[in-house]
Amino acid sequence: MSLFLSKLASKKDIDEVIKGVAEKVVVLRFGRDEDSVCLQVDEILSKTAHDLSNMASIYIVDVDKAPIYTRYFDISYIPSTVFFFNGQHMKVDYGSPDHTKFVGSFKTKQDFMDLIEVIYRGAMRGKMIVQSPIDPQNIPKYDLLYHGI
Amino acid sequence: MGAFYCAICRQTTFSGKGHIFGKSHQGRLRVVLLKFLEKVKEARRTLKKPQVEKFDCTQHMQTFWCYCCGLEVERNVTDGNMTVLYGGLLEHMATPEHRKNTHKFWWDNKADPKYRDKVIITEEENERFKAEVANALESFVDKEDEFVKQQADNIRAQERHRQEVLQFVLEVCFRRMYWQYPSRWHLLLLFMILDSQWAAAGQGLTFIGYQNKHASPCIPGAVPPWLQDDPLEGTSGAAAHPQIGPSLQDFLKQKEQEKLRKLPPNRVGANFDHSSHTDANWLPSFGRVWNSGRRWQSRHQFRQEEGQKNRLKRKREHGAESSKKAKKN
Repeated sequence: MSLFLSKLASKKDIDEVIKGVAEKVVVLRFGRDEDSVCLQVDEILSKTAHDLSNMASIYIVDVDKAPIYTRYFDISYIPSTVFFFNGQHMKVDYGSPDHTKFVGSFKTKQDFMDLIEVIYRGAMRGKMIVQSPIDPQNIPKYDLLYHGI
Repeated sequence: MGAFYCAICRQTTFSGKGHIFGKSHQGRLRVVLLKFLEKVKEARRTLKKPQVEKFDCTQHMQTFWCYCCGLEVERNVTDGNMTVLYGGLLEHMATPEHRKNTHKFWWDNKADPKYRDKVIITEEENERFKAEVANALESFVDKEDEFVKQQADNIRAQERHRQEVLQFVLEVCFRRMYWQYPSRWHLLLLFMILDSQWAAAGQGLTFIGYQNKHASPCIPGAVPPWLQDDPLEGTSGAAAHPQIGPSLQDFLKQKEQEKLRKLPPNRVGANFDHSSHTDANWLPSFGRVWNSGRRWQSRHQFRQEEGQKNRLKRKREHGAESSKKAKKN
């Protein structure tokens, strides 16, 4: 759990953040405060938040507080990090099964900062999906199962 | 035989004084005398009845060329206020120098002696003329005095007329309006004075009071446009001093827009309306993991899924309840 990042407790708050933040990357971390991997991610996010303040606004969301977004964003693993720019979802090709969100923890602060910079630059050029700059070895491996099966 | 200059012909001849008997000289002399005598005749007309006029520098500053003396003399006599017409000319012709010069001129040019006395004014005539001039001046001064008095009467009559109008306006209209608008009485007064001045401009008209009081500009009870409450003169201080130029909010908005203009126009969500109001069911554009098709379709698919889920849930609940009921039965 981070004391330095702002928390969003309801769907309305999340809506306002996604709509309201202009010309900046919105980082939404979905997870639980007591989860150990979430704590790792929060550490990285809170330490880089100030340096990235010109490019990104970082928020943490509890998966249990906004169930509709948990379903809409298909969050099956925590922590999951979703990126928005000017109200539009930014996809990133991490080489993992899911392009819509980053699942798990970043290995270093630099990885996260690089990712934000790539997303920001891509969005400024009009790209809806960007290539992840993170070393594939540093990206957690997981399998996605279609819940309908 | 020497050179001889003839003033009439304005030329020098070397044939001596014989020139003056010549045809050309006599012809020119006749023309000169005719012109001269014409002017003298006009002057002689005023000899018995002198004309005195008010001085006019454009007309009364003329001069006259006396051929006999070879001199330029003032035609009229003036003291700056009034003028005696031909006074200077007659005075000059009465002098003994003029008389001597005239005799010499006639002798030199061999002019017709019967015209000679016409250009000379005798002492008697001069005396009579002076007496007549004195009389004329006196009558002229009297006439001037009378004119001034008439002007003064005119001015006095106008002033009286103006006072009458002002009195009427103050008594009839002003008193009513004073009770209605006591705080603006000085404005009213100013207006009344201006109005009365305008009314007095009609000269020679007799004022008998306004006949139709309702048609007059001061209708009791009606608020004239210049006394109506100005919306800018409100009770609030902000309204009394309206701000000039853009407000702070406008300025900040403009600054934001300037900043946005520098960004690339094709960036993601460049036209996204950040201030739009949306309901609680709003979902952002999101490309879902299992979504096939466009991003905006994922929202509709999600809603469909939600609907199906709800329906299934309801069905299940409904089914459970009905089975319970069946068991009970």
